Amino acid sequence: MELPILSLITFIPLVGALVVLCLPKDNRRAIEAVALAAAAVPFLLTAWLYFAFDRTTAAMQFVERHAWISTTAVSIDYYLGVDGLSAPLVILTTLMSLIALIASLGIKERFKEYCFWFLILEVGMLGVFESLDFFLFYVFWEITLVPMYFLIGIWGGPQKEYAAIKFFLYTLAGSVFMLLGILAMYFKAEPHTFDMLALMKIHGGLSFRFQVLAFLAFYFGFAIKVPAFPFHTWLPLAHVEAPTPVSVILAAVLLKMGVYGIMRVNYPMLPLGFEWFLPFLVLIAVVNIVYGAHCAMAQNDMKKMVAYSSINHMGYCLLAIAGVSATGFSGAAFQMVNHGIITGALFLLVGVIYDRAHTRDIGAFGGLAAKVPVYAGLMSLSCFASLGLPGMAGFVSEFLCFLGAFPRWKIHTAVSVLGIIITAAFFLRMLEKVFLGPLNKKWEGLPDMNLRELITIAPLALLMIALGIWPRWCLDMMNATMVDLAGLFR
Amino acid sequence: MIEHVWLVPLLPLAASLVILFFGREGEHSKMPYLGIAAIGAGLWISLRIIFDAALGRAVLPYEADWTWYSFAADLGGRPFIFDMRAGVLIDGAAAVMLAVVCLVSLLVQVYSLGYMHGDPRFKRYYAYLSFFTASMLGLVVSNNLIVVFAAWELVGVSSYLLIGFWFEKEAPPYAAKKAFITTKLGDLGFFLALLLTFAYAGTYNLTRLKELVGMGYLPPLALTLIGLGLLSGAAGKSAQAPLFIWLPDAMEGPTPVSALIHAATMVAAGIYLVARCYFVFLASPFAMEAVAWTGLVTAFLAGTMALVPYDIKRVLAFSTVSQLGFMMAALGVGGYTAGLFHLTTHAFFKALLFLCAGSVIHAVHTNDMRSMGGLSKRMPLTFTTMAIGSAALAGIPPFAGFFSKDMILEKVFEHSPAMFALLVLTACLTAFYTFRMLFMTFLGEARDRERVAHAEESGSAMTVPLLILAGLAVVSGWLLQHGHAFASFVGSGAAEAGAHAAETAGSGAHGLNPMVLAVGMTAAAMALIALAYSLYGGPDQSRAGRLKERFLPVFNLLENRWGFDAFFLALVDAADRLAELCRWADTEVIDKIFVDGWGLLTRIAAEISHLFDALFVDQAVDGCGWLSRDVAGRGLRSLVARGQVQEYLLYLAVGVSLFAILR
Amino acid sequence: MTLTLAHYLALGAGLFVIGIFGALTRRSVIGILMSIELMFNAANINLAAFNRFLHPEGVTGQAFALFIMTVAAAEVVVGLALVLAIYRRWDKVYMEKIDILRG
Repeated sequence: MELPILSLITFIPLVGALVVLCLPKDNRRAIEAVALAAAAVPFLLTAWLYFAFDRTTAAMQFVERHAWISTTAVSIDYYLGVDGLSAPLVILTTLMSLIALIASLGIKERFKEYCFWFLILEVGMLGVFESLDFFLFYVFWEITLVPMYFLIGIWGGPQKEYAAIKFFLYTLAGSVFMLLGILAMYFKAEPHTFDMLALMKIHGGLSFRFQVLAFLAFYFGFAIKVPAFPFHTWLPLAHVEAPTPVSVILAAVLLKMGVYGIMRVNYPMLPLGFEWFLPFLVLIAVVNIVYGAHCAMAQNDMKKMVAYSSINHMGYCLLAIAGVSATGFSGAAFQMVNHGIITGALFLLVGVIYDRAHTRDIGAFGGLAAKVPVYAGLMSLSCFASLGLPGMAGFVSEFLCFLGAFPRWKIHTAVSVLGIIITAAFFLRMLEKVFLGPLNKKWEGLPDMNLRELITIAPLALLMIALGIWPRWCLDMMNATMVDLAGLFR
Repeated sequence: MIEHVWLVPLLPLAASLVILFFGREGEHSKMPYLGIAAIGAGLWISLRIIFDAALGRAVLPYEADWTWYSFAADLGGRPFIFDMRAGVLIDGAAAVMLAVVCLVSLLVQVYSLGYMHGDPRFKRYYAYLSFFTASMLGLVVSNNLIVVFAAWELVGVSSYLLIGFWFEKEAPPYAAKKAFITTKLGDLGFFLALLLTFAYAGTYNLTRLKELVGMGYLPPLALTLIGLGLLSGAAGKSAQAPLFIWLPDAMEGPTPVSALIHAATMVAAGIYLVARCYFVFLASPFAMEAVAWTGLVTAFLAGTMALVPYDIKRVLAFSTVSQLGFMMAALGVGGYTAGLFHLTTHAFFKALLFLCAGSVIHAVHTNDMRSMGGLSKRMPLTFTTMAIGSAALAGIPPFAGFFSKDMILEKVFEHSPAMFALLVLTACLTAFYTFRMLFMTFLGEARDRERVAHAEESGSAMTVPLLILAGLAVVSGWLLQHGHAFASFVGSGAAEAGAHAAETAGSGAHGLNPMVLAVGMTAAAMALIALAYSLYGGPDQSRAGRLKERFLPVFNLLENRWGFDAFFLALVDAADRLAELCRWADTEVIDKIFVDGWGLLTRIAAEISHLFDALFVDQAVDGCGWLSRDVAGRGLRSLVARGQVQEYLLYLAVGVSLFAILR
Repeated sequence: MTLTLAHYLALGAGLFVIGIFGALTRRSVIGILMSIELMFNAANINLAAFNRFLHPEGVTGQAFALFIMTVAAAEVVVGLALVLAIYRRWDKVYMEKIDILRG
């Protein structure tokens, strides 16, 4: 029998969570060991998956399918599989979870519960990317919500309860619409099925009206997660209030669920609705890019600035998808991975300075580069990566995004290009105010990064450069799938 | 040797990484020698390439490339996997450029051994410098526009890092940011040009692109837009109007950096880009004309602005902008060879001038020419070399600038006499401001005796590069002009450019006697130098002061750089206000509508449900109770509910019996 | 004469009517309980009879009768406990005196 690799990846964190729950809460070492193991083993498994992945095919791989809830009325399968779209995201998820968990080792209060919720969150995220059955997909989708609610609400900042409830209710509202969409698809299919791959083949029989409505229902669920304008306002608040590792996960993985959903559900299942919505989608993308960047420029809180820059970066994904081209899809998929790595690193770095200075106000610093050179170097590197400097990962994907959108939306893309310079402006301004100029005497004794922080950030920094110089490592996984995806309706 | 050309950019890159990550920081670090060795090897390779090509042992253009990465693309409606190939393309211009960059970089690195000695971040300086050189060389050799763009941006970053090298001060970080953002603004055009290129041509390979353009495969409008986009990028990097505002500020960086990046190489990248993509411009007359006018306007504006500063480096900065304008104008009128020729000679003599200025600054610890004067006796070597450089810049025969500038003027005259007139005026201004600088620095009385008295000639690490560059400034023009060596080497691109020039020349303009031009220009330059001497050369400088009094508004306008800075600052301000507005809108409007509004809507719905519940549903229940209690009244209750279990049982029995019977 | 289902049903009906009459007319709570017991047994007879005549192969009816006996025993326990409680509280066992549910 073949090893059920995806199930192992998904449920080892769950086992870890349950074991953590059984440990005495005073035995911190044991909790740390179990939690780290429960995050590290799936990462190693995905590393194996990376090498075992067949890059020549667009078909689903490592498929596992078993009847789960099987009666005469409904048949719901336990159905997992990955292709070139989801496999990189699965790898990203396990990587970022491991890194965020290492970054969480500094958490003092209620560490056991924290680890428990964190691992449950990882289960949910992995499940969303792997499941090929709508019912399963929805279950995993909702599973991510609850741990996130607690992680923000218990370990967050001063406004944590408000942020947590806002996040929870808002995204829940979105997923309710998504559930409606799922049910509509289920009843429209003959025979009724939750099988996502089968549902991709029925669009020929769906009326325009139905497709538009179903599209809107799904889009609504996903757009809130992306977050697409005007449903983005939960994000800055949630990011600012969440503890650093949770911000990392939120930016690096959770936002990707939205874009992934649009690429996995909206586009292949509802082509007419998608086509109808395109002019709006591209407008939303442009607004996300330009407006998001402008909002970021006006922020004084570093974390809020990075949060708004996420909105800007996810705008590139939306723009690329709106291009409906193979290049655009590659760009969007690659941009998801890169944004995860880069913004994850940025949030970790902001967390580093916040831990030391207890402020994130850009104006409160000055001249730190002389005091903390390693930190300044890594921060500059991440900022440059985020503003799309060539040679770093962000450039390749942003460029592909623009390249994919350009043939179809020339003016929109030209306007979006403005986002690049605004992004450059606010990142450089931040670098200047925080690191350059005369040293602010207040931070004379600021220590540089410690080993744990370096362990979390250095791999991300290396990845940023590696994927920028040699994008094959990621793009080759995606190519076949993207060609297939773009060719669906030609 | 030419097959090893890919090593030329990679050696300095490796050196830079090794220096940055493995070298020990310190004032006496030995790491700089690694950078110097790497660039020395690069110089050797590039010189070998030139000799091989000149002797016919290597064939130019040489191209080799490798698959870099692949991505899914869909050209012509069918998705497929597109291979992005990256590699090297060496033609005559690239070979020359390689040698120039390597040579200047090598000399500047040697010079910096003296200039930066004792700096606490000595090692890091060399890491940055090597990184810059690597990216610049990558830009020069690459055959793929994307790689060119990537190197282009990396060059920008190294410039950012080096301008802001002394980041503890206020001004350098600001200048660095300004430089980066301004060039980035120009790069937006470059970026759009790249998008257009792929959308219409489906390739980034320069050779292939040239074929496609030659076949007329691209629509004219697209070509023009691509050309304008490239021009915009070039205008940012080469500090052309209106994006030149960053270059004077960039002088906050260490002076050798100014010599290497902001005089000889990086700012020439824009010119080089236009030359490299010359086929695009040749195919689009409008873009060509735009290049010419951009160059012309820049040359003139910068020439005027160079008349007034007192900061020695700023004079040189404005002069650089102006000279870059000359090159751009040359390219714009079809003078491919002339533009590149001036680029080469300018690289030598402008690097020389900057390094001389650095030597002066190193000695007197100020940039302000008002605190100098009379330095010729204290620093004879620097004075001599700087005089050579100035003569070259002013276009005095037989120095290098004379040949290249004349070549440009000839070309421009063929194209349009009006342009020619403006350019001649600018050339005269050049002679004036160059010697104003030279005289203010070295001649006359020492205005700040304290400083000047302590000034000493710099050490050999600094003077040897000066002497080498001075030698080049003397001979390079004559050597390269001789027998049209440069023109024939630069090669194929020039042939086409020549055809184009012939075409425009044939359309009406008449030729200009080169001798007349040479003599006339030399005479004019001499006259203006004499004027400069009379104003600034003597001990008494009150006349210059009076001149300033009289034309104060003009001076102010020039000092304010024709208002360009104010314009861009207003732009930044507007962007800031817009950002502030966006932030306000986001928290006060969008959030209120789409999140809080959402919540409010739910709350209202909930209130309505609650009202309905209280008014109707609950009232119905209460109503039933009310009916039984108050309508039926006590009588009915006392009649039926008497508390007798057996009576209840009887009712039950009767009821059941009835059911049974009535079934 | 053979006994048919009708005979048993008649017996059950008779017993039931006696029980219901007792339950409606007895003044004493104890009497009422006894009458209810009669009704249970009438039902038991029916169950056993139906089982015997309609589904002789099974024992469902008899099993149910056993269940009812158990339940009846439990019911009597609770009933007698209630009677005792009522007697101790109000010192009376006659039904017409116990009318605390009077409206």
